[in-house]
Amino acid sequence: MDYNFLFVVALNGLVYGSFLLLPTLGLSMVFGLARIVNFAHGQLYALGAYFTVELIRLLGSYWSAVLVSPLLMVLFAVGLERLAIAPIRDRTEIYTLPVTFGLGLMIVGGIEQCWGTAAVLVSAPAPLQGSVTVLGNEYPTYRLVAAALSLIITSTVFAVVQWSSIGLQIRAVADDREMAAAIGVNTDYLITMVFGSAAGFAALAGALGAPIFTVNLGTGSSVLLDSFLAVILGGLGYLPGSAVGAFIIALAKNIGSAYLSDWSIAVIFGVVGLTLVIRPQGVLGRGRVA
Amino acid sequence: MRRDVVSKIAPAPTAASLAEAFTARLLFLSSMALLLAFPFLGANEFTVTLLTEGLIFGIWAMSLDLLAGFTGLMSFGHASGLGLGAYTAGYFAQHVTSEFLIALPAAEIVVAVLAVLLGVVVGRISGVAFAIVTLAISQVLLQIGIAWLPVTGGMDGLIGVPVPTLFGYKLESGESFYLIVAVILILVYLALVRLANSPFGHTLQAIRLSEQRAAAIGINVRLHKCAIFVVSWLVAAIAGTLLVFMKGGTTPMVFNWYQSGYVLAVTMFGGLGTLLGPLVGAIIVTFLHDQAISLFKAWQFVFGLAFVLAVIFFPAGIAGIAIRTWNRLWESRC
Repeated sequence: MDYNFLFVVALNGLVYGSFLLLPTLGLSMVFGLARIVNFAHGQLYALGAYFTVELIRLLGSYWSAVLVSPLLMVLFAVGLERLAIAPIRDRTEIYTLPVTFGLGLMIVGGIEQCWGTAAVLVSAPAPLQGSVTVLGNEYPTYRLVAAALSLIITSTVFAVVQWSSIGLQIRAVADDREMAAAIGVNTDYLITMVFGSAAGFAALAGALGAPIFTVNLGTGSSVLLDSFLAVILGGLGYLPGSAVGAFIIALAKNIGSAYLSDWSIAVIFGVVGLTLVIRPQGVLGRGRVA
Repeated sequence: MRRDVVSKIAPAPTAASLAEAFTARLLFLSSMALLLAFPFLGANEFTVTLLTEGLIFGIWAMSLDLLAGFTGLMSFGHASGLGLGAYTAGYFAQHVTSEFLIALPAAEIVVAVLAVLLGVVVGRISGVAFAIVTLAISQVLLQIGIAWLPVTGGMDGLIGVPVPTLFGYKLESGESFYLIVAVILILVYLALVRLANSPFGHTLQAIRLSEQRAAAIGINVRLHKCAIFVVSWLVAAIAGTLLVFMKGGTTPMVFNWYQSGYVLAVTMFGGLGTLLGPLVGAIIVTFLHDQAISLFKAWQFVFGLAFVLAVIFFPAGIAGIAIRTWNRLWESRC
């Protein structure tokens, strides 16, 4: 067995996992807090990457594009939430599925109109274009730096949810929306804000990942499915579970497709689907959200 | 027996309600006649083909309506039944016989076995979990379609499925195939209307309104959910069989979750729980799609927008609008 190959594949998996973290947490949080199943979430990731491409052209610098793209996305997503999702808040949560699916279609159509169907390539910023030696294997520097950045941002999100007063409100709404509203939490505002920031984090992941993973029309859909698998495995709405789920899915996908080719993804979907039937709270979930 | 009880409670029919029922039946019969006569009314070949596709799509949408509309189980993997029907019928036609009346039951048997096995599992869940598990099922089938090269042909799919025959007569012309599709559509529609109005259909409605309440009055909820899941897949497989013969093949992309979302969108656009709504919706969308892709590149944008607006503002779909207009018409007359 070639351990070097396995090592590189696993490292790729870990890098992908740390990118998957951001969209996964967003998806999980939006479901836990607002009971919105966001089928447009992957497209928000993809749109973040396309925004970055356009912003690099406009601003000339990669890092400023990475900063501005998520901010634009927050504005965009807040508008989206106010216009399309807030009007159906009183209906059963299942209705958020078709609406967000429609929104996803709109974004895909928009992307096709603006950027065409060809894959878009972004080159990594100049100082990070080289590679470093990890245990005797050459590995691109940018991947490690971007993965580290993504991990730092994720930790910050966890810290905010766990220790800040806004995080306390978020957890209160996730626990019991009516009760939280009764003691004075502005739930509507909070849901919109969390939806917006979840989209911003997805876009940030898309922006940071653009030089690593090629961006095309299928990107959004594949990111969405992967983060969904992660969220289900970890328990819908349970953030630490979702984080672990993201790494499990990323590793399983990378190692599986390296050794078992196309069958691995069928197995992953089968396992996760069965998980949802047997243990709806997820393998790691504890039966409560956020 | 049930009917006797109802007739004792229901008021005697008035002249107005009889006239309404008569008009409805007349409208239905004439539209069926129009449907069957369509290719002979001077329509060109392309329109006939497009309508054939629309009718197949309509059968598929009606099969989803059984789950999403009647039972309240929003499936996000309804491409599974269609794709499975397409693959098995296509494979059977390639390797055994392309006689339609043998290939269709053969596909149905395979789909039934799988649907029963999966139905036992998905009968336990509902809501968002049901949507996601059905999506996972269709993704598993998609990957199997890609990976199981010797049988499915991998990414290329089944190619060169022979032209179907009916009692040995080759259905080569577009008109003859159209007629088969139209007849099957009418039979499926009538059967499903009967199913919807049967005690079984009413039980499904009870489950949709509240699973707990249905269980409390003694309904075996899991069994009913499993049963309607199987029926829905069987009807979807009919559409799949017709599709594979129409296109002369299929690719794994038939299982794509976008297809599942698409058929759900069309079913909701037509009007959940009305059967006729999803059918009409599917035909309309097929023709609109054909018009739209020649007009602008971003057809998905327009479709997505229309769909979002429909779900927010017209949750009852076009059938809801039609029913409201119909009722208003009869109220103002009488």
